[in-house]
Amino acid sequence: MTVGLRLHEAVWGLLHQALHLYRDNPRATAHLRHQLARLEQPLRIAVAGPWRSGKSTVLNAMMGEEVAPVGGADGDGVFTWYEDGTQPRATAYSVSHPPQELAMAKSATGMRVDLVGWRAGELRDIVVRWPTRALRQVTLIDTPAITEAGQHGRTSVMDRVLRDADAVLYLTRDGRGTDLRALESSRESAVGQAAPVNVIMVLSRVDETGGGRIDALLTARQLARRQHRDPRVNALCVNLVACSGQIGLAGRVLSESDFAALAQLARVPRPELEPHLLSADRFVRGELPVRLDAEVRAALLDRLGLFGVRLATTLVRTGCDSRTKLSAELIRRSGLTELRESVNRFFVDRRDTLKSRSALAAVETLLRTEPGPGTGELFGTVEQILAGAHEFQELRLLGALRGPGLGFDTELTTQARRLIGGDGMDLATRLGVEHDATVQQLWEAASEAQWRWRDRAEDPLLRLAQRRAAQVVVRSCEGMLAELVEGGR
Amino acid sequence: MTAGIWLDVLDEMARTCREHGRADLLQAVRQKRAQLLDPTLRVLVIGEPNQGKSQLVNAIVNAPVCPVGDGRTTVLPTVLRHAETASATVVQAPPSVPGRPADAAGPVTVERTPVPLDQIAAGVSGAVGRRSGGGPAYVEVGLPRALLGAGLMLVDTPGSDDVAAPGGAGPIAALSHADAVLLVSDSTRELSVAELNVLLHVTRAHPNVAVVQTKIDLVADWRAVAERNRRHLAEAGVPATLIPVSAALRLRAAATDDHALNAESGFPALITRLQQNLAGKPDVLARTAVVLTARTVVEQLAAPLRAELEGQRAEEQSGPISRLHAAQREVDELRRCSTRWQNTLADEMADLLSDVEHDLRDRTRQILRMVDEAFETADPLVTWDTFQEWLQRSLIEAAEANREWLVQRCDWAARRVADTFARYGDDMLPSWSMTVPEDLGDRLPEMERPSIDRFTASQKVFTGMKGSYGGLLMFGLALTLAGMPMINPVSIGAGALFGGKSIRDEGRQLLRRRQATVKTAIQRHVDDFFVRVTKDCRDSTRQVQRMLRDHFTALTEELQEAIIQSFRTAKQAADTEAAVRDQRQREIRLRMARLAELYERAQQLTVARPAPASLGPRA
Repeated sequence: MTVGLRLHEAVWGLLHQALHLYRDNPRATAHLRHQLARLEQPLRIAVAGPWRSGKSTVLNAMMGEEVAPVGGADGDGVFTWYEDGTQPRATAYSVSHPPQELAMAKSATGMRVDLVGWRAGELRDIVVRWPTRALRQVTLIDTPAITEAGQHGRTSVMDRVLRDADAVLYLTRDGRGTDLRALESSRESAVGQAAPVNVIMVLSRVDETGGGRIDALLTARQLARRQHRDPRVNALCVNLVACSGQIGLAGRVLSESDFAALAQLARVPRPELEPHLLSADRFVRGELPVRLDAEVRAALLDRLGLFGVRLATTLVRTGCDSRTKLSAELIRRSGLTELRESVNRFFVDRRDTLKSRSALAAVETLLRTEPGPGTGELFGTVEQILAGAHEFQELRLLGALRGPGLGFDTELTTQARRLIGGDGMDLATRLGVEHDATVQQLWEAASEAQWRWRDRAEDPLLRLAQRRAAQVVVRSCEGMLAELVEGGR
Repeated sequence: MTAGIWLDVLDEMARTCREHGRADLLQAVRQKRAQLLDPTLRVLVIGEPNQGKSQLVNAIVNAPVCPVGDGRTTVLPTVLRHAETASATVVQAPPSVPGRPADAAGPVTVERTPVPLDQIAAGVSGAVGRRSGGGPAYVEVGLPRALLGAGLMLVDTPGSDDVAAPGGAGPIAALSHADAVLLVSDSTRELSVAELNVLLHVTRAHPNVAVVQTKIDLVADWRAVAERNRRHLAEAGVPATLIPVSAALRLRAAATDDHALNAESGFPALITRLQQNLAGKPDVLARTAVVLTARTVVEQLAAPLRAELEGQRAEEQSGPISRLHAAQREVDELRRCSTRWQNTLADEMADLLSDVEHDLRDRTRQILRMVDEAFETADPLVTWDTFQEWLQRSLIEAAEANREWLVQRCDWAARRVADTFARYGDDMLPSWSMTVPEDLGDRLPEMERPSIDRFTASQKVFTGMKGSYGGLLMFGLALTLAGMPMINPVSIGAGALFGGKSIRDEGRQLLRRRQATVKTAIQRHVDDFFVRVTKDCRDSTRQVQRMLRDHFTALTEELQEAIIQSFRTAKQAADTEAAVRDQRQREIRLRMARLAELYERAQQLTVARPAPASLGPRA
């Protein structure tokens, strides 16, 4: 990078500066050391949202296993952390007691944690260690419901989410005003304003859109796209995805017996089956033309929902004749793929950026709460880092490129996305050359891209937003060239 | 006549409002009366966005009238009423003029734009038939439906997060105009806190609120949700029934003419309820509405009365008694004051007298001392005239100075005494004041010239002869021894010398005697003067004291009179006020009682509902 220092290096320096400044303050020092340690830990992604917005379902769908919720009902105020581990274990942390192991029961598709003996409100955190590939790089946090905003427009849960997590999946049923208000509290700090790159908004429970019509997911996706163009929404999150957690989870944990039952249903001609799929009651209680136990039906309904059953039978009828095919199709249609892709591109690939952002925010809060001599100077450093951080701009551009707002044609959009790391962060992928390319080839590709985009950045015929975007791409190319120089030395 | 009873109550309520001078309440009561007499049942459908409000309305009338979409579709309120042929109109009121209440009586010219039936959706989303910048608009749809024909009128409102204030939708969707309210909430989740708040708000003013739980086809455990919703309602104390329905099933049933499916959709219960409401509007519904209106009106009317009562009670405790205490204190104070001024006056006058006497004595002593000094050397024979003049002048001066001081002291003493009356005012000094009399000098005793012995010539000769005789004899005898004659020049010279000395000695003795005489005379005179002046002073001081005493006694009496008078008037005023207040209280109590009676009567409307049935056969 032309600044000389990468973002995470600058932040590391900042943390040490702050440590020096607060060397007489044990509490602040502990806090800063914690932040330093966090830089090395896996990325923390919190799944947050209002009451019954489908937080645990989406989390399960992301993990591919049924592990959430642990606490039972919403609103207990417990944060559940899902971390990678060799052995499945659950530990409870409370305000008053020492950490305590929790009994855990494994089931076919996940696990249950025994919470007997704990009073409501006593627990603060539950840390679940669970051996799974999905947790290799990230720590997922299941959060309590975000309640209606209080008088100050912010809630304690949202505060803690923003403090403890590096990135947030914000779930909402329809992206309405009250949900947005809770999110707006994230914009109060300088870091939050300069870099709103840590939130992906998820339209959850979209299978219920339009009363569960068969095209519900498609309309939901259109709605999401329309909403992403809304500047109010756009200013708060880096991307907006429509995803039905239930369908996605069903796709991921679909068993052969489930598939068999669905296949059996699909064999019934459509006009005959349709009256039975009119309502959940009819499906469970009615006289089906095929023999299917009530428990099986109830299980299907529980797993897929009425809409899911309708969708699955239609899919089986139209060609998904095996469990794997049906699973894949369900996952594809649920929007889960898109969500995971977004999480990978915007969060996992940018873990250094997001971690730096968290550390910056933490330092900023510390400077605000415990002012003293020298804090003003450090504030200046924070702002300098924020202003110079190209990574945040890249992320914002990445979000903008997803929508149609910029007006680049498809080819340019793809190229820009690739160059700023939207398809993967290593140099070869970004420059679009073979993986075994030499430094010379990489250099040539990078300088060529730089020249091309520099032309665009200075093209008076393009709109201002496009020219700005082109500038960001140029800057990314310069960064790659700098990296090549460093590597070549 | 059943309608008569609640009408009577309403009319009486209107009368009471007028009595109390509450035009606003009167307006509300009148509007309620008109609304209750109108046989159509206006049903307001409210709820958060995307809960299926429009779909519910569609399912009730079995026609896709209101557009149903996935996002937010309903922008304008839609009013469904009966019409022979299907029609749709966008109705827009002119922009509301500030200063005129929005729902002012009198026909408002509204702009009606017919909309083709296939464009209702565009109309409802506000795209067609509405001028920008106009007042609140709504879409009116006429449909030939028996249910609507019976007098049902459905109002579909745009979804709102904050349903408590649907003011933006215009008066057509105002809560106060509705006869029944349906709150729509879907089965995918339980009632939220916001919805419960809305329900609490609405049920306070509306007798007829139902929660419609839609989309029961979509959720398997809608029964559990309904159960929990009912519990929420009960916990929040919301008297609203919950009706689970499925619009999708109903529409499907209508398409396939499937009665079982229709029954399953839950709509028959809803429609039966609406029909019951419609049939019961002139009776049951109206009674409940009147009861609720009565409650609000009576509460609003009673609140100021109650406040006034409270205020009066507080005032009663503070008013007259404190005033009585104040008067008592005033009298005591006056008594203390009179003792104080009397003491002050006596002390001051005694002091004054002794001071003035001392002063005078001091001055006369001074004069006497000067006289002594003067006549140590001076011969009264020579200086008497000048001296007498000087003495007269100094005495008059002394008397005047002393008198002046007396006047000042008297003045000061009067002021001191007046100071004790400071709390009653500033001008308590007597208008009279002592002055130095002009003729002070004339009143002094005239000094008479003392008889002084003069040293006459014959006396001198006689004394000289007497002296010279001795000398002549003494020296003559001595010289005779020396042989000289008795009378010789030496003895003559000595005789002359001795004679001269005798004359001088005699003269000096006489002078001393004269001086002593004069001194004594002057002393006597000054004593006379002192006695005279002192007497004068005493007299005038006593006079002043008497005058001051008279003045302040009169003043005290005057003050006492005034205080007692004011005390009396205060007491009288308090008595009158108490009487007035008593009367006002009685009046308020009467009014409250009347209000309570009115409320009781209104309450009877619902309590005694079975009564007309039992009375029926007899009537």
